[in-house]
Amino acid sequence: MAQPGSAAPAGIDGSLLPGPFAVGHYAARMREYLRARTHVQLFGEVWNLRVSRAKVYFELRDAAGALPCSMWRGDFDALVLGDGALADGSQVVVGGGLDYYVGSRTSSPAFSFAISALRVAGEGDLLAQLDRLRRTLDAEGLFAPQKLLRRPALPRTIGVVTGEGGKARDDVLAGLARRGWAGRIVWAFAPVQDRHAAPRITRAVQDLAATGAVDVIVVARGGGSLADLFCFCDETLCRTIALLGVPVIASVGHHTDRTLIDDVAALSCSTPTHAAESAVPVHCAQARAEAVAVARRLGVHSSRAVLHRAQTLVRLSRAPGEHVARERARLHQGLREMRASGRRRASGEQARLARRALVLERRARAAALDARRATGLQAIAMALAAHDPDRTVRRGYALVSDRAGDVVTTGTAARAAGDITLRFGDGPVDATITPDR
Amino acid sequence: MTDPELTYEEATARLEAIIKRLDSGEAGLRETLDLCREGRGLVELCAAELEAVGQGLEELRLNELVARLQAGAG
Repeated sequence: MAQPGSAAPAGIDGSLLPGPFAVGHYAARMREYLRARTHVQLFGEVWNLRVSRAKVYFELRDAAGALPCSMWRGDFDALVLGDGALADGSQVVVGGGLDYYVGSRTSSPAFSFAISALRVAGEGDLLAQLDRLRRTLDAEGLFAPQKLLRRPALPRTIGVVTGEGGKARDDVLAGLARRGWAGRIVWAFAPVQDRHAAPRITRAVQDLAATGAVDVIVVARGGGSLADLFCFCDETLCRTIALLGVPVIASVGHHTDRTLIDDVAALSCSTPTHAAESAVPVHCAQARAEAVAVARRLGVHSSRAVLHRAQTLVRLSRAPGEHVARERARLHQGLREMRASGRRRASGEQARLARRALVLERRARAAALDARRATGLQAIAMALAAHDPDRTVRRGYALVSDRAGDVVTTGTAARAAGDITLRFGDGPVDATITPDR
Repeated sequence: MTDPELTYEEATARLEAIIKRLDSGEAGLRETLDLCREGRGLVELCAAELEAVGQGLEELRLNELVARLQAGAG
């Protein structure tokens, strides 16, 4: 096996093995050897599916072992599989044979099963197992206990289980900073991907809870294939978390990935940042401002209550005095009105009396006038009486009148009248004039 | 009197109830003063809780916490 262009070094002293041979030459011979093996059909589950521009890679797995597989992109596209038809966990049957990429000075060699034909056989056993486990845990009621735990609004200590070098750590810190939270954070670093991950994560969660000093636990991991996240579907881990006395917030993979820890945890978040924010529901800076505002309002209520009531008391204490003053004013007013009324009445009475006095005076004057008139009249009457014929008659004289009542003062008139009346003092006497003798 | 065992969220919930009662204007003088006194205690409790998570982030590894707790217990 001489290699052209390079001289082979001396072999190992005492070795009975053939060679030394140039590795590239040996690798090429091995590729020929492998390619000469019989082509077969294999079946198993697809894991770590990766699609590159030239080739499609995945691992074909079952419980007993696994084989790296590759398929030319052109052959893969020719299958015209629908979106999601081939994914991690898919059960497939592949046809092909062993192949070996010999690599070079600048590229790594790779062994693979070169696939020339592929058929999707159905849902993978692992996914089916996952579903069965999910149903079992659900039937046992293990999805509920974590959700019944009280999650503090303002935890003082937060435990975080994550990979030490992962981006999730920074995301958790960013989420806490966004909340303005600066308490105590306890890191429990654990592998979050390989087959040793699940027990280490389980132990980390248990240890954090056992300290009794952690208020809430965040389990965080960034995105990855379902195979990468499969440790978070571990039955022991999920049962441990389900029965843990401390609330667990899970953030594993992206929102499209659903692991079993998402089901058993108190809360499932799509990103580690969101998980950190959920661990501290209170925005601390805002809460501080609100506390100050509440304190101010309490002060206002307190002083207002006292002040208002003091003002009421002052008002009430002034009330009797004001009432007396009002009464006094009312009495004074009444008094003034009464005096005015009295003055008005006296004045009216005086006017009335004056009027009456005037009337009386007038009457008196009238009476005096009447008296004077009466005196005059009496004099007149006496004068008249002195001339009254009846007076003369009563002295024995007689008054002659005709029958018509006219006074007859002469004998001629008496003769002319014929019938006359003689009125004596004691009464009239009719007489007839007889002719002269 | 403020119950020191109250959690932050219990304290804030009670504060909300107190403010609502005071805002209603139905509380008498004695009740108002009692509520204000209780409210001030609750505000102090909340402020203390906020103060506890505002002093600066403290990062520990789990084994460091365990060692600290054991030292404290010892």
